[in-house]
Amino acid sequence: MADDAVFDKKKAHRAKLAGRKAEKKKKKNQVDQSNLSARQRNPKAFAIQSAVRAERQFRRREDVIAKKQHIPQVDKTPLEPPPIIVAVVGPPRVGKTTLINNLIKSFIKTNVTSTNGPITIVTSKKRRMTLIECNNDINSMIDIAKCADLVLLLCDASFGFEMEIFEFLNICQVHGMPKIMGVLTHLDMIKNAKKLKMTKKTLKHRFWTEVYSGAKLFYLSGIIHGEYLRNEIKNLSRFISVMKFRPLSWRLTHAYLLADRLEDITNQESIRKDPKTSRDVVLYGYVRGVPLMKDSAVHIAGVGDMKISELSYLPDPCPLPNSEKKRHLMERERQIYAPFSGVGGIVYDKDAVYIELKGSHSHKIEDEETNEKKALLKNVVETKETLDEQMQDTGFKLFSGGAVIYPDMLKDDEYLNHNTNNEKNKSLDESTSETESDSDNDSGIDQSEKDTDVKLPWNNNFESEDDDNDEDMDTDEKLPKNASKIDDVHSSDDDEEEEDFNIKWKEKLSEKATMAYFERQRTSRNIMKLVYGEFEIGNKTKEPEESEGQSDEEEIGGLFKKVTSTQKKKHKEKEQLDLDECSFFYSLDKPKLRDWLNEANKQLIANSFVTGKRSADEDAAELLKLDDASDGDDEMYGDFEDLETGEKHEGEQKTEENKEISSKRKAEPTKSEILNKKLKLKAKFDAEYDNPDDHRIKGDHSYYENLKAEALKQSELNKSVFENLDDGLRIEVEGFRPGLYVRMLFKNMPSEFVTNFDSSYPLLIGALNMAEQNIGFVSCKVKKHRWYKKILKTNDPLIISLGWRRFQTLPIYSKIEDDLKCRYLKYTPQHVTCNMHFYGPITPQNTGFLALQTVSNNSNEINKLGFRIAATGSVNEINKSTQIMKKLKLVGTPLKIYKKTAFIKDMFTSTLEVAKFEGARVKTVSGIRGQIKKALNKPEGAFRATFEDKILMSDIVFCRTWFKVDVTKFYAPVVNLLLPVGNKNAWEGMKTKGQLKRERNIMNDANKDSMYTEIVREPKVFKPLVIPKELQKGLPYKLKPKVKTTTLTKNNRKPSILANKVAVIKSPHEQKISNVMKMLKTNFERKVKVQKATMKERIKKHKKQQEAEEWQKIKRQKELKKKICRQLSKMSSKKQKQM
Amino acid sequence: MPATVHNDVLIYKGSNLFRQRLLLSTLSGRSIKIVEIRSSHDDPGLKEYEVNLIRLLDKITNGSRVELSETGTSMYYQPGILIGGQVSHSCSTQRGIGYYLEVLLALGPFCKEPLNAVLQGVTHHNLDVSVDKVKAAALPILLKFILVDDGLELKVVRRGAPPLGGGEIVFKCPVRRHLRPLQWTKWGLVKRIRGVVYALRVSPTMANRVVEAAKGVMLKFLPDVYINTDQCRGPNAGKSPGFGVSLVAETNENTFYCAEAKSAESGAGETTLPEELGRACALTLLDEIHRAGAVDSAFQWLVALWMALGQKDVSECVVGPLSEYTIKFLQHLKEFFGVMFKLEALTDDDEDSSEDEDKVTTAQKIKMTCVGIGYVNISKRTL
Repeated sequence: MADDAVFDKKKAHRAKLAGRKAEKKKKKNQVDQSNLSARQRNPKAFAIQSAVRAERQFRRREDVIAKKQHIPQVDKTPLEPPPIIVAVVGPPRVGKTTLINNLIKSFIKTNVTSTNGPITIVTSKKRRMTLIECNNDINSMIDIAKCADLVLLLCDASFGFEMEIFEFLNICQVHGMPKIMGVLTHLDMIKNAKKLKMTKKTLKHRFWTEVYSGAKLFYLSGIIHGEYLRNEIKNLSRFISVMKFRPLSWRLTHAYLLADRLEDITNQESIRKDPKTSRDVVLYGYVRGVPLMKDSAVHIAGVGDMKISELSYLPDPCPLPNSEKKRHLMERERQIYAPFSGVGGIVYDKDAVYIELKGSHSHKIEDEETNEKKALLKNVVETKETLDEQMQDTGFKLFSGGAVIYPDMLKDDEYLNHNTNNEKNKSLDESTSETESDSDNDSGIDQSEKDTDVKLPWNNNFESEDDDNDEDMDTDEKLPKNASKIDDVHSSDDDEEEEDFNIKWKEKLSEKATMAYFERQRTSRNIMKLVYGEFEIGNKTKEPEESEGQSDEEEIGGLFKKVTSTQKKKHKEKEQLDLDECSFFYSLDKPKLRDWLNEANKQLIANSFVTGKRSADEDAAELLKLDDASDGDDEMYGDFEDLETGEKHEGEQKTEENKEISSKRKAEPTKSEILNKKLKLKAKFDAEYDNPDDHRIKGDHSYYENLKAEALKQSELNKSVFENLDDGLRIEVEGFRPGLYVRMLFKNMPSEFVTNFDSSYPLLIGALNMAEQNIGFVSCKVKKHRWYKKILKTNDPLIISLGWRRFQTLPIYSKIEDDLKCRYLKYTPQHVTCNMHFYGPITPQNTGFLALQTVSNNSNEINKLGFRIAATGSVNEINKSTQIMKKLKLVGTPLKIYKKTAFIKDMFTSTLEVAKFEGARVKTVSGIRGQIKKALNKPEGAFRATFEDKILMSDIVFCRTWFKVDVTKFYAPVVNLLLPVGNKNAWEGMKTKGQLKRERNIMNDANKDSMYTEIVREPKVFKPLVIPKELQKGLPYKLKPKVKTTTLTKNNRKPSILANKVAVIKSPHEQKISNVMKMLKTNFERKVKVQKATMKERIKKHKKQQEAEEWQKIKRQKELKKKICRQLSKMSSKKQKQM
Repeated sequence: MPATVHNDVLIYKGSNLFRQRLLLSTLSGRSIKIVEIRSSHDDPGLKEYEVNLIRLLDKITNGSRVELSETGTSMYYQPGILIGGQVSHSCSTQRGIGYYLEVLLALGPFCKEPLNAVLQGVTHHNLDVSVDKVKAAALPILLKFILVDDGLELKVVRRGAPPLGGGEIVFKCPVRRHLRPLQWTKWGLVKRIRGVVYALRVSPTMANRVVEAAKGVMLKFLPDVYINTDQCRGPNAGKSPGFGVSLVAETNENTFYCAEAKSAESGAGETTLPEELGRACALTLLDEIHRAGAVDSAFQWLVALWMALGQKDVSECVVGPLSEYTIKFLQHLKEFFGVMFKLEALTDDDEDSSEDEDKVTTAQKIKMTCVGIGYVNISKRTL
């Protein structure tokens, strides 16, 4: 063996040292293999083996990707979002209140005694939430579903899902599905462990089919000391606080707020005089959805459409903590704000407000804030706030009683003095109001309000509210006092003066402020002033009277200049009043244009042409120069040579990069700047192209990516564009952005709204977009709900929840035919969608709605119905008129018939009607078709018609036409919030006739024909038999009908004959004769009888004799036959023998 | 003149800006009342062309209500729903078709059915934008908002000069559910100049002379100048004689500036020299180019309108100095829709530093920024 080994020594492998292979290997080893993926090291192994399989893999991957894609939406969540609304929904007695209490306790570590209305709490550094409980009223359920971000759906596990849960889920589906988490309670009621498991499982699966499979369902296993288990609640609260939300289309286009505080600021005196007087109500809440425009109309669910008469924002009553680097919330930052529950410093009594001062954290917070603001103020360069806002800030400081006094504090005082003077002036003008205000100040509320003013940061509007009360005519006294008032002061001065004043102020505030910024601010403000005039900024609503008031003041001031200027303005206005409208730049007067051919002027615009000199960042020569300058860094690009992409991408990238650099660059970019830029670009490039694993075939998602990028860009722009605008102007331009806490004043609210206020009902205020406050005909598609027991009838009142509104209306159902005609239907079809028209508020297309037949909580009715949601659907179209056609069959009868022409009557009532139908097709029952020709003169409404064949007099003629049905103009909002407390769920609108009759016990008269009566059967009476005379002649006399003796009269005749019978009295002789005749007759009869009997006997005897003879005869014959037969057989046998 | 609001009805005074008010009222669905219409004039009340406009609005809407007082000095207008569709309208010859066309252009995207309007009347008028200008400068703007051009079209079938008119155009506009937000802050440099010269019932040489003059001016700035002549004959030439020119400057960022000039009316007694006309038009165009901005100054208001009617997103556009008409329009936008623009005069920092001598003379640029009101086309049908 060893020898073998020696001889069998194999040649060792000798690697090539030169040649193609060696070069290849060398090249390969140059690149560091260690951090390459297998795919890169050995690309052949990963090459496509089977085209079909690769195609399938690719297709599957693309499918998965496509499934994940959604249409990119512009993210509209503001930087500081409003608290999320967490609604706790469920049937009564499942533990909703307990859950809320426990959640609050777990989040902010305090016990809350009463939970009424929305409760806002700070849950984390970035998130707040508003907890609200939904009571067992379908109206509340609808409103909650419209505003909730997250719904905790509580369910009593020992009972199972109740109808309310399914109803609520259905409502949610219609109005935009919020996030839903199920919570099972009362699990401790199920003692059997196996049963418990089963219950959990079945409930979970039922829940999944309703929401989506995999929806989160929580189990709260039991109550200990009236509380759920702590770690279960903790778990739940963790889930809540990391919940993410997807935007819903309705809320992406509408602003809304859930009011969490309500004040009635009507004059107490007028209430005393007339308790039913319409009220001025102030509602507070966080703006949600999209920015709320100042003068948009709103709908208060359960009350109706309202116009906001004043809208302003307030400091956040429950602010997020400052963005300091901390892991957890500080104890004092865990705030709660729930005015309806009497938490958060304010307790509400019937007609007074009590403020708890000690427990409030707001005080401290305020301090902190102000300190920070002070720090900010010191270097104003960073702050982008304008004077007005800073004034506001200083104002707060003043009231907070914070320790430090600023250098400009003095100015403030001055200003305040000024202001009070101003007010005094006004009050002199209106001495009556002065006294009024005095008397008002005496009332207790005012005092308390003053207190709030001092203590609570969000209440700084109270004073101005007072002012509103006091001086009804001074409408310019609006919210954050300082800002507004300083404006007034300024506006009463000259414009120039104002400017100067402003500048001085600004200098006072910060010397460091860059002049450029102010200049820019000023110029921009000037243009806006030019366009919008003296608009007020921010926190006030514009009032038309104001300007007049100002001009009055000016006149009082006695400035002649002012007066003349106003006159001039008026004169100019008058001149412009009736000018011809023209959209040109030089509208009517043609100015003398600059002579552009002049060399000096020519220079001005020479650079507007492509032939002119470009700006530095676009000029090719400059760019080239720049490239040369930065050539030193170009090595950087050397190190990424991609196998496939390399060259091409590099080239593209370069030009792109050039552009980007140059566009951002100033005239002389420093080298470091260029370097920076290039590094950044390289990183971007690397991210895009240097992904080592991505050598697979990829689908083209550029369309989707572009959409996404566009949406992202837009959302960034939305966030950034107004960022450094001062708040007042920003609100003016953008509206009240979501997250702001606003105060809205409504004038002329019904008094029932205040007197019957119940905080357990959600107070949803939804803004209406353009044209949505108008009313028109809405066409929508609708489907009766499968679980609803009845079918819906046309023109039966229906309560519809659409958009923000709930209203009752009279719908008409129809079906869209193939020619797009709406054919009237009397009832909704069972399981298919149909069309529905109703008269109601104009709402954008594709908005979902649901329909109910009743919203009242009458348990009887609910039990009868089972499921209350009658139908669901969505809006198709809005119009100001409708075209619903109902089939109509007109019926007529022939009057006279000629060959193929016939006169038809009874189809129309007048010649005019006929004229309308000339040429229409008609048809007889037997199917003969024809046409209406012309009206006849004589019977009104008759006409001539021709047919394809001769019709019969007995034919009925039809004309099939359409009849337009009008939609009844009935629209009644559900005003359940105005109903008395405890009765709010009993709203009843229009009733059907049937309902009314049932209620009043009105019965229809029953059909006579349907009634049961005694059956009387008359005997059949036949007609007399009449024999024709001719026939009678031929009959024998016996059969001839005798004179007036008919079968019919036989019965009747007898008595009459008897009655006519005359008694015949015979003479004795005749008597004798008749006696003899009688005797003879008797004798004869006897004789005949005897003879008959004897004859019978005789015949009998004779028959017997004859029979015997017959027998004899037969006997003989038989014997003879026998004889003969014997003989015959003998003979035959003989014959056989012979043979 | 700010409106007073009474019962949610906006009350205006005077006949000025009549068209703006009706237009905005129709879009916003808010009723308006206009009082004191030429009440102190010798000829009080609405003029024929204004009544004609009301008729046109009535044709393209459903459910509008117009109440005129007996003297015609006050009117009440309750807008209906925009229907659009096939419309044929003979415009008043007191104003050009442009007067009506601009309204249709503004309303077009919000109709129920795509608009297909045939307008007859004066195609070129001193007070109004000509149809050429709308076609050249306004349609590209609309295209920026609707993005896809499915049937946006303006066809000049016949031209008609004042006073008798006789022109005819066909305007088609697609409908949209909502407009896209627009960011348009660059307008680039003028890269080509095009133009049309028309001669109606006058000698064709007139047109050629106009071309020569206009070209003469423009060639001093740019070599790429082409001006077509449109010699209309027979019925295509309308009913009155006249000639005119419109020049369009296109930039490399798809901005179109348009200037136009036309001869004086035939009966006026004054004569217009074609050379002068051409030169005047060219100078107007240069003026327009000097003012710059992303849109032509005559259509600033259209951009403002469509920006305001966009989705609830930020739109930006840089325009030249605001025209008086645009300022009025912005005020009206605020009154009808409550939308306020942030207007910012741009200081061209780059130019300041590089070319100081230029700084003084460049026309003011204004950056208009607004958040759309989230207007949706409520009349469109969904299936």
